[in-house]
Amino acid sequence: MITDMLNIISNYWLLLLVGQYPNGQLGGLANTLILSALSIALAFPISILFALARLSKWRLLRWPVTGLVYITRGVPLLMLVLWSYFLVPLLTGADVPSFVTMLTTLIVYQGAFLSEVVRGGIAALGPGQMEAAKALGHSYLGAMRFIILPQALYNMIPSIISTFVSTIKDTTIGYVINVPDLTFAASQVNNQLLTQPFQVFLILAVVYYAICWSLTQVANVIERRITRRRAGVTRGAATATLAPSKILSEQP
Amino acid sequence: MTMSAPTTQALPAIRLSNVCKSYGDYPVLKNIDASVARGEVVVICGPSGSGKSTLIRTINRLEEINSGSIVFNGQDIHAAMPPKQLNLLRSSIGFVFQSFNLFPHLSVVENVSMSPIRVKGVAPDVAYDKALKLLDRVGLAEKAKAYPAQLSGGQQQRVAIARALAMEPPVMLFDEPTSALDPEMVGEVLAVMKSLAAEGMTMLCVTHEMGFARDVADRIWFIDAGEILEAALPEEFFKAPRHPRAQRFLADLRH
Repeated sequence: MITDMLNIISNYWLLLLVGQYPNGQLGGLANTLILSALSIALAFPISILFALARLSKWRLLRWPVTGLVYITRGVPLLMLVLWSYFLVPLLTGADVPSFVTMLTTLIVYQGAFLSEVVRGGIAALGPGQMEAAKALGHSYLGAMRFIILPQALYNMIPSIISTFVSTIKDTTIGYVINVPDLTFAASQVNNQLLTQPFQVFLILAVVYYAICWSLTQVANVIERRITRRRAGVTRGAATATLAPSKILSEQP
Repeated sequence: MTMSAPTTQALPAIRLSNVCKSYGDYPVLKNIDASVARGEVVVICGPSGSGKSTLIRTINRLEEINSGSIVFNGQDIHAAMPPKQLNLLRSSIGFVFQSFNLFPHLSVVENVSMSPIRVKGVAPDVAYDKALKLLDRVGLAEKAKAYPAQLSGGQQQRVAIARALAMEPPVMLFDEPTSALDPEMVGEVLAVMKSLAAEGMTMLCVTHEMGFARDVADRIWFIDAGEILEAALPEEFFKAPRHPRAQRFLADLRH
């Protein structure tokens, strides 16, 4: 069994790593990582904008975004992917590559989920911080940027990382619209071997687990560093009086 | 001016005219008419739920009012104005909260220096030096690098006062600054407030510290059910309050 898996890896490592590249499209693990990184990198700022829009006092900003978030959260990702895959070319006549379709859908979908996390983080701070900022003359956006968001996002690191992890896992849905990612490559391998689906898909699971686990570890390091800095443990003098702070994003 | 002010300056620092505020049908402030002269220290006292905090929070527009006007330095705080102008006005009114509201993600010196840097555009090193001086003044120079969570309540409130002073406001508002403190920490905060008063700062304080009111205030406003029932010199107020509600309030305090 282990030897089977090692054999598969040694025979198909290039396909699993980069797909048909350089003879065809880039695929495999490389594409999964690129898709994940782009989704996360773009969904995160968009989620902050969504959250701010939902907290805005202007209905023109609040209502459409609230509607978008409700719909996006209430519909399965697969459904959204199929919609954009079939409807966008139908409506616009444009030939959108499946990678771009998947990326945009993931950004909107995860952006909506993440915006609720961000909004929750802001709401959990209570009104005192914003009042203090206003009383000192900060503008609303200035207060958000320098006072509210740094705290809200820090407090929400565990939930934000969870959403990032599910973004990575959701890239596998791209398989149904032929995005050449790691799942797609593994499926190709399986189709060639025919007799070893368990081994092939175990390799797939291990790789996804490793990616998500690494992300969680990075988050732990960041969270620990910020916690330590905020507790002021620079000289070691104050450590004794402080309870050890909990690292909440430990679980993948 | 309708009310006798012990100080003789002509222009009041803050002038409240016919200020009314209600939550739905429930009136919180009823026709408040009062003024604070430059350099004057006014203590607002009264039973809880009387509208003291609401009143002081309307002065920097943390609370809106339904009618009337509040004029500060010649400008109506509650007039329609672009947000920038309101921010500028707020930056010249220092406000100290009951719950301190320090920024927990910033060190003490950053708490004090950030608003001059971000709001006024003061150069960071200048703002930093100024913050250290202010911290020295409230007796916390050695805590500059600490974070709010490492400080006691009294220390946090002194940082909050330094943070407000960093914007160089001509007026300071205090909303029950010692009510959230352990008894042994009340003194250190009051001492800072006393020194401010001695330097001629215009101050409006909501507080239950009657000793402070007696020693430091130029005038007392006694509020109940959203009305200023009595505005008097402290010696008059404590010796012979005129309004029956004030008499009862003071009698209750002595028990």
